[in-house]
Amino acid sequence: MDFSHSLSLILPEIVLSVAGLVLLLVAAWGGDKTSRAITIASCVVLAACFAIVAPSVCAAAMGPDTVAFGGQFTADAFAGIAKLMIFAAAGAALVIAPAFFGRYGIMRAEYPVLILFSTLGMAIMVSATDLMTLYIGLELQSLAAYVLASFLRTDDRSAEAGLKYFVLGALASGILLFGMSLVYGFTGTTDFGGIRAALSGGMATGALFGIVFVLAGLAFKISAVPFHMWTPDVYEGAPTPVTAFFASAPKVAAIALTARVALDAFGAQAGAWQQVVIFAALASIVVGALGAIGQANVKRLLAYSSINNVGFILIGLATGTAEGVSAMLVYLAIYVAMTVGSFVAVLMLRNAEGEALEAISDMAGLSRTKPLLALCLAMLMFSLAGIPPLFGFWGKFVVFQAAVQADMVALAAIGIAASVIGAFYYIKIVKIMYFDEPANVVQGRSDWAHWALLAISTAAMSPLGYLLTPWLGELADGAAAALFLAA
Amino acid sequence: MDLIQYLPILIFLGIALGLSGLFVFLPMGVARLTGAHNPHADKLSEYECGFPAFEDPRSQFDVRFYLIAILFIVFDLEAAFLFPWAVSLDLTGWPGWITMMVFLFELTVGLAYAWKKGALEWE
Repeated sequence: MDFSHSLSLILPEIVLSVAGLVLLLVAAWGGDKTSRAITIASCVVLAACFAIVAPSVCAAAMGPDTVAFGGQFTADAFAGIAKLMIFAAAGAALVIAPAFFGRYGIMRAEYPVLILFSTLGMAIMVSATDLMTLYIGLELQSLAAYVLASFLRTDDRSAEAGLKYFVLGALASGILLFGMSLVYGFTGTTDFGGIRAALSGGMATGALFGIVFVLAGLAFKISAVPFHMWTPDVYEGAPTPVTAFFASAPKVAAIALTARVALDAFGAQAGAWQQVVIFAALASIVVGALGAIGQANVKRLLAYSSINNVGFILIGLATGTAEGVSAMLVYLAIYVAMTVGSFVAVLMLRNAEGEALEAISDMAGLSRTKPLLALCLAMLMFSLAGIPPLFGFWGKFVVFQAAVQADMVALAAIGIAASVIGAFYYIKIVKIMYFDEPANVVQGRSDWAHWALLAISTAAMSPLGYLLTPWLGELADGAAAALFLAA
Repeated sequence: MDLIQYLPILIFLGIALGLSGLFVFLPMGVARLTGAHNPHADKLSEYECGFPAFEDPRSQFDVRFYLIAILFIVFDLEAAFLFPWAVSLDLTGWPGWITMMVFLFELTVGLAYAWKKGALEWE
């Protein structure tokens, strides 16, 4: 437990921060013309961090050897698998950006640097085993994200998205801090293990309020109902590559963080938070499904889709079992691949002048003008709806299976019923693309990087994805075991 | 049936309802109360921020004040960190010293960035 051992455990975070600081100075002195080089360097850094973390996930690292700095930080397999998803999603957000920002003049060199700092914050979040570490990671991630949301600062909607995200995010941080202060006041420690020990004997009402406020603050960050109201506006207004990033990496980080807080710190009082998580899960599924029906903008629709998906992910957490956490991780991995693919497909909707199209009506008859793009998008939509031959079904299946095993049959039944509502609007998009009269506005050519990412994502969601299930399930089981060993 | 076991969900719903309601109705209530419906000389007067409280938001004001204020906060907080670090250095030892130097170096990188971008130049 010496200092050098702790430093070796935070190696990916050290690499990320040093790279971020160096690239920040390169961006300041080199100017925007270095943005391409900085983007490539950031991708290399993320790949290196991926390679550093991967062995600990494959070996299902757990136990005291993974604890750094006297219990403030844990680099176990659970944190590792979340970090792998975060690094992959952040890499995708970097790859898709240059072609998008190129239309608005030159891409600014700060974009990859901000993505790196946000990724660093998320890596700290998922490894946090102390309320202080948790908050530092969360704020580092959020502050970079606020700037990213308003990155097209001459665009009114982007500026509005940034401001809205900042005001509501700051409010959520305040609620979270208030809850943390109550928890600290009633347990006398900020360490997750210490909080667990203090709560195992019984719980004062004040500590219960603390738990509820912490969960409310975290629900903001994962955009679970009833704290979801910022999501459609921010997702619509932010530049599309940034929206793709928001819908993938920070969700993984916040959900992994919520799982660790709930099962580790508050694990002794599972009854207290399970009701809250079950409510948030069912409300997210229903509101996400109903809210999406009337949307005319595809980015807003995908925002409601992400709210809907968070509900299914929370069902895995609500079980409070290792199977549930494993199912949650499998769902998260599939969700990240589907979401990134969907947003890349949205990025590829361009008119003849190369301007981005976001209205669903512009996609009418896409199958006749851009058959390949329409096919990929249709497969992703069917997968998001959870239609069996596609891989999206597997995520929903494992989550509901875990709920049934945990004797939560009613929860699973309501979830399945509500997912049918959700299927309506996904299939509506397929219907518009395949059976409506062509609008003939999607004409623009797409960047090769977009095609490559879309192909990877669609291939993973095709029935070929089922080849991954034993491997994915094994990694998720190891990660869940690591979380429950600590708990 | 012991209803007390549903206390967490009741508190959660109460807080959720209260907060969500607050976000919706507080701005509406504030808009109603501030000038639009019942203008009053006192309500329209300036307060401490140095700008008239109610005017066209498109009016120009100098963003440089804000840049200086943000940079001031960064280095102000740095001083707040340095005091407890200095008095507890005998307990934290070399790791504590190195950690603070790393922190100061990171702040210097931020200052260098702000300087190069021209945030410190008034004209």
